Amino acid sequence: MATVGSALLLLVLALVTYATVASVLAGLRRDRRLMRSAGNAVMAAFACTVSAVVLLEIALVRHDFSIAVVLQHTSRTLPTPYLLTSLWASQPGSLLLWLTVLTGAGSLVTLQNRHKNRELMPWVTAVVGGCMVFFASMATIISSPFERTVGVVPRDGFGLDPSLQNPYMAAHPPALYLGYVSFAVPFAFAMAALITRRTDARWLASVRRWTLFAWASLGVGMLLGAHWAYVEIGWGGYWGWDPVENAALMPWLAGTAYLHSVMVQEKRGMLKVWNVVLVTATFALSIFGTFLTRSGVVDSIHSFVQSPVGPALLVFLSIVLAFATTLLVWRLPLLRSDHKLESVVSREATFLFNNLLLLAFAFVILWGVAFPLLSEAVRGVRSTVSVPYYNFFLVAFGLPLLALTGVGPLIAWRRATPGSLWRTFRWPVISAAAGGALLALLGLGSSWPGLTAFSLCIFVTVTIGLEFARGASARRAIAGGSWPRALVDLVSRNRRRYGGYVVHLAVVLLVVGIAASGAYGSVNQAALKPGQSMQVGGYTLTYAGMRSTTGPNYVDTAARLVVSRGGSTVGTLYPAVRDFTDHSVKTQSNEVDIRHDLRGVDVYTILQGADPSKNEVVIKALVNPMVSLIWLAGLVFVLGAAITIWPDPREARQLARRYSTALAKEA
Amino acid sequence: MAVIVAIAVVAVAWPFLSPERGAPEQALSPRDRNRLDLMERRDAAYAGLRDLEQDHRTGKISDEDYQSERRRLRAEAAGALRALDTLDSEPDTSSPEE
Repeated sequence: MATVGSALLLLVLALVTYATVASVLAGLRRDRRLMRSAGNAVMAAFACTVSAVVLLEIALVRHDFSIAVVLQHTSRTLPTPYLLTSLWASQPGSLLLWLTVLTGAGSLVTLQNRHKNRELMPWVTAVVGGCMVFFASMATIISSPFERTVGVVPRDGFGLDPSLQNPYMAAHPPALYLGYVSFAVPFAFAMAALITRRTDARWLASVRRWTLFAWASLGVGMLLGAHWAYVEIGWGGYWGWDPVENAALMPWLAGTAYLHSVMVQEKRGMLKVWNVVLVTATFALSIFGTFLTRSGVVDSIHSFVQSPVGPALLVFLSIVLAFATTLLVWRLPLLRSDHKLESVVSREATFLFNNLLLLAFAFVILWGVAFPLLSEAVRGVRSTVSVPYYNFFLVAFGLPLLALTGVGPLIAWRRATPGSLWRTFRWPVISAAAGGALLALLGLGSSWPGLTAFSLCIFVTVTIGLEFARGASARRAIAGGSWPRALVDLVSRNRRRYGGYVVHLAVVLLVVGIAASGAYGSVNQAALKPGQSMQVGGYTLTYAGMRSTTGPNYVDTAARLVVSRGGSTVGTLYPAVRDFTDHSVKTQSNEVDIRHDLRGVDVYTILQGADPSKNEVVIKALVNPMVSLIWLAGLVFVLGAAITIWPDPREARQLARRYSTALAKEA
Repeated sequence: MAVIVAIAVVAVAWPFLSPERGAPEQALSPRDRNRLDLMERRDAAYAGLRDLEQDHRTGKISDEDYQSERRRLRAEAAGALRALDTLDSEPDTSSPEE
């Protein structure tokens, strides 16, 4: 099985190398057959990569410990779902997943563009093909998932890391990889547009949907990871500014900036150079994020051990940046703006400020991640950049960004007059001021960032509500009908705009959840004997003894805690310590227990330790208000992204008509 | 494994073995690029007018600003249409770009 798997990966490397070379020749010679052949090679490579994945999954499920990754990351008692997801627990397996997603994306792009973008596609395929060659080389030569076990094959494996034995293992890494990898497509289109001098609107439409998909996948991946951290890792939080968490956030911030600034290019013909820089930066940050995870240079729960993959990724990143910079400088004359910024009080200016804030935030995060590495390289001493550094900038950049989220949709293009500003913003401003005052009276003034964030959330929510209400009212004035019908028509005819507003609503929910849980939470820790109680955030937790349960590869020892509030019992929690029975070395994990209530308050309990000689346990408890809004924000985010990504048949028809009229040979 | 390799080779070679479908690939002439640019300017002006209409109906801009911006966008669209008419009425002497 290992031999066949290795042979498949070698075939993939050959196919993607052919695809890259053939597509370059197809672009130079304008040879349609050669281009189709290159496209077929990409699709054949995808089929072979999927076959390799299937083979490795079979090896995992059948406990074929003659393959090193199976031995190192599974055991005979590991439940089958975790056997399947352990494919991406290892460095080589996760590289195979990267390659699968990349060849899949390349195949989908080939199929989507069979009859359009013919001048661009050879170069798109060449750039994506170049990325495929790199990752196929790594999976074949440097870090093969089919590498054999050295020496005698043991009867059982070493088991899977306890923190990876969670259902989120099935969703979090694949969602992140979909995001990281898919950013290669917009980058490839941008480079192809520069090479062919086809900087017209069609490539922007193709790029926009792929960028939205990549950006949405990365956002969902991060939220899934945050929820996983919240329910599994057992420190009571959901985001620790871990370097590898930051590695996903940075391209997401750059992608957010691009999605806004590309609207300025479409409407006003401005920021063309800036958009190429952003698309390149987003893809480069994805590669950098991959480097951080795989090189082993950072201490992180996400990192793999040090390997030669790291230096190879740095070389690849350097090539990507050099290639993009060369093309951009060469084609600079093509990217002159059609218009100038006429007023700082305009939607263009708002988007520009938004971009500057997003990129400044990405840069400070990048500095926070890179500084310890640079410090170690230069001085031999690894410094640390801790959570307060990131939280300071989250507030410093996040609050103005939140304000702009409300301003941008309501302000006019080109120039807004003072009269129109007051007319447009008076109700959101009044609502925010009144809401903030009321919240302060209710006792939430103890945290000024929290109070400011809530006030701005009211501002943004009112602006979104006004946009939907006014838009539906205008729609009814034209077409008649009911309010629900008008709303559906409004969204259907303006998917990007109103899908974007739904995403903004998700941001509001996210900010409320983060601000409330961060600024207004409670924590307590106590050693308890049976019958003793502790107080936290208005709740009483009474320790009522231990219980033990056995799973397929573990034994849980849990503390029974009776939860009461206002004198009434509201629930029971069982925070536990899990001892894994399939690891040769004693391996434990914390299994927290969380109570969610209808007010959006989480009571979060952790069994920190137990002392049988004293018959006591150490319990850490947190009360986290509104954390569930963060997870709700994820669902709203997916809805908004789906509305925005959904193809608009009218736009597609208009583009096809324009291009068939202008270029009869192209259609 | 030999079967898989054979299938891959056939897939890659198929475009050279099957009859050519459609016209041969041709390059874009400068005239084509010019026409495309003008059509995009025209369509961007139309899209701008639609957005302007929406913004005016939802109260984001005053009547005065609406009239001023509407005149500007209609002039842009008209300019693009005139340029397209001029382009189409001229004989095509350009050749595909290398």
